[in-house]
Amino acid sequence: MTGELIIQQLLNALSLGVMYSLMAVGFTLFFGVIEVINFAHGEVFMLGAFGALAASGILISAGLPLGSIGLFIVVLLSVMIIGGLIGAIMERTIIKPMRSSPEIMTLLITLGASIVMREAVMLFFPNGRNPQPFPQIIVMKSFFIGGVLIKPDIVLTVVLAALLITGLYVLIQKTAFGRYIRATAQDREAAKMMGIRVDRIFLITFILGSALGAVAGLMNGMSYGIVKFTMGFIVGIKGFAAAVVGGLGNVYGAVAGGLLLGFLETMAVVFIPDGSRFQESISFIIVILFLVFRPGGIFGERTYEKV
Amino acid sequence: MKKSLVYLMLVMFVLTGVLTGCGTNSPKVVKIGFVGPLTGGNAAIGVGMKNAVDLAVKQANASGKLAYKIELVAVDDAGDPTTAVNAANKLIADKGVVAVVAHFNSGAALATVPIFHKNGLPAVIAAAIHNDITKDGFKEITRVITAADVQNEIAGNVAAKDWGLKKYAVIHDKTDYGKTNAEQFIASVKNNGGEIISFDGVSVGQQDFSALLTTIKSKNPDMVFFGGVATEAALIKRQMGELQMNAIFMSDSGILSDTFNKIAGPAADGTLAHGIGKPLEDLPGGKDFMKAYTDAKYAEPHEAYAPFAYDAANIIIKALEKAGPDRAKMAEAIRGITGFQGILGETAFDDKGQTRLKIITTYISEGGKWVPYYRSSLKVVDQKIQKQ
Repeated sequence: MTGELIIQQLLNALSLGVMYSLMAVGFTLFFGVIEVINFAHGEVFMLGAFGALAASGILISAGLPLGSIGLFIVVLLSVMIIGGLIGAIMERTIIKPMRSSPEIMTLLITLGASIVMREAVMLFFPNGRNPQPFPQIIVMKSFFIGGVLIKPDIVLTVVLAALLITGLYVLIQKTAFGRYIRATAQDREAAKMMGIRVDRIFLITFILGSALGAVAGLMNGMSYGIVKFTMGFIVGIKGFAAAVVGGLGNVYGAVAGGLLLGFLETMAVVFIPDGSRFQESISFIIVILFLVFRPGGIFGERTYEKV
Repeated sequence: MKKSLVYLMLVMFVLTGVLTGCGTNSPKVVKIGFVGPLTGGNAAIGVGMKNAVDLAVKQANASGKLAYKIELVAVDDAGDPTTAVNAANKLIADKGVVAVVAHFNSGAALATVPIFHKNGLPAVIAAAIHNDITKDGFKEITRVITAADVQNEIAGNVAAKDWGLKKYAVIHDKTDYGKTNAEQFIASVKNNGGEIISFDGVSVGQQDFSALLTTIKSKNPDMVFFGGVATEAALIKRQMGELQMNAIFMSDSGILSDTFNKIAGPAADGTLAHGIGKPLEDLPGGKDFMKAYTDAKYAEPHEAYAPFAYDAANIIIKALEKAGPDRAKMAEAIRGITGFQGILGETAFDDKGQTRLKIITTYISEGGKWVPYYRSSLKVVDQKIQKQ
């Protein structure tokens, strides 16, 4: 195998990985701060993609030229707002009322919510039952750098994901608000006593995570040119797997976990004979291995201990 | 009291005499059955098929050549195996029915074929293409449509012989459908001296094929063949374009839908696939059929599979002329039919009851539509798709 081919495959792995990372960050935020496993997160991803489809449709018919950077920015913002709104609604309607119930109840209710969202899109989105083409929001041509083909959507996906994750890092580590989030994650009761409005922190965490998930949906639509109502399930599970691999509750672990999954999926195809058969199932094997042998995730640390 | 009874009996005798007299004057009624999807998702196709059978029956009655008056008995299988079995039993129970034009859905046909056989009612399968329908070679069962495996055989011939392609990368979606298509294609390509350089499975619902396609690209195939359905095929074709692969992309009849062209977008251009059947206007008797169908003023359009039902009905009518209204004799006459010129061409059956006609069309996606290859401006020249 030539060097160019290896780099090409690494780029493929990277574009898969960043998408999983973005999803995993959402899972890990919800678990780290609010202690819920949100199985509806995959559907937020799907709704983000459908939201982008609807938004770009409206904007294009309103006169914004297809393939312009302006269109992309407006769609991106609307998708973040849609994702955030869905997150807010979910937090207030199904997560908050269940806060004092056993964890299994929250798990079940998010699972139920995910089915409702999926079926709703299938039934109520125009032609939602069938896969739909995603408009080419930004038009860029593939180009070569030293024999390696660069797909513009990979560049865009990676840059955007890097920006968002850096933004999240700055928010959590460098701002007062980030301190509140960290404090709430460490000890909810103590944070409350220090005058942090924990309720609001929960809400905003949900909005943040869901907005990131919705952006992942937009990027998915742009990379593959397709949206369908079933798309959230598998990506949701893979995002969850990435979060587990990274250590649930650990934001940087989630990023690393996503990249690792993307890398392993690609390498399975490249190095295992007829490995493409396993591409979709490799995440599950990895997550089982991690749960059994390294439940704390890649970095092996327990992020916090509950008393 | 007694006297009146005698009178009554007299009247009855006279009446019976008059009635039977009437009966012998008009021709005997013989029934032809139709079973197909008249409701459900395939209803439009099924109703078109039923109308085609009705048209054949009306034409036969009007010709005055028959010693019988034919009636059509149409029952609904809803495209569903269970409903189909009930429908078949209804036709079997009606002793006037001498033969049946049967089914669009393979599932329905697979369920009823043994039942038709057991009860000795001849059935001409019109438009169900599963290979196993004629597998047992029951003497009551014949089929006028080409079976599914033939499309892949032809696809392999066209690619390797007509276009001279040498190296093939084959992908399938791990389903029974996709894998079978891929394997049949591989067998045909190998028969024609082609070389299979890779054989890979992918998942239904998978979106990213870039790792696999990057590997395949490095092996430089002339053609990538995909056994599967529209969505995955469209994603593979798009990603081949993004990776700037030059290989020709071909798939099976599962991608012959608008979904493929919509999802693949501009990347769809030049995709090849083989489908069973042919555009009606290009069939030998297609234009005559279209005219007759329009003249008969049916409320519903004939749809794609009416020609098969029409030929099946006419085969039954021709056999009826020869054998008379007897199920066992009819079965024999249908099986052994010779010199039958229908709108599909000359139909004759092999030892399994399968038609010898191979009506397969190569389609190419051009400008967002599936176009018969022979009519397209895109051609395979020097192992590349080129505009002529």
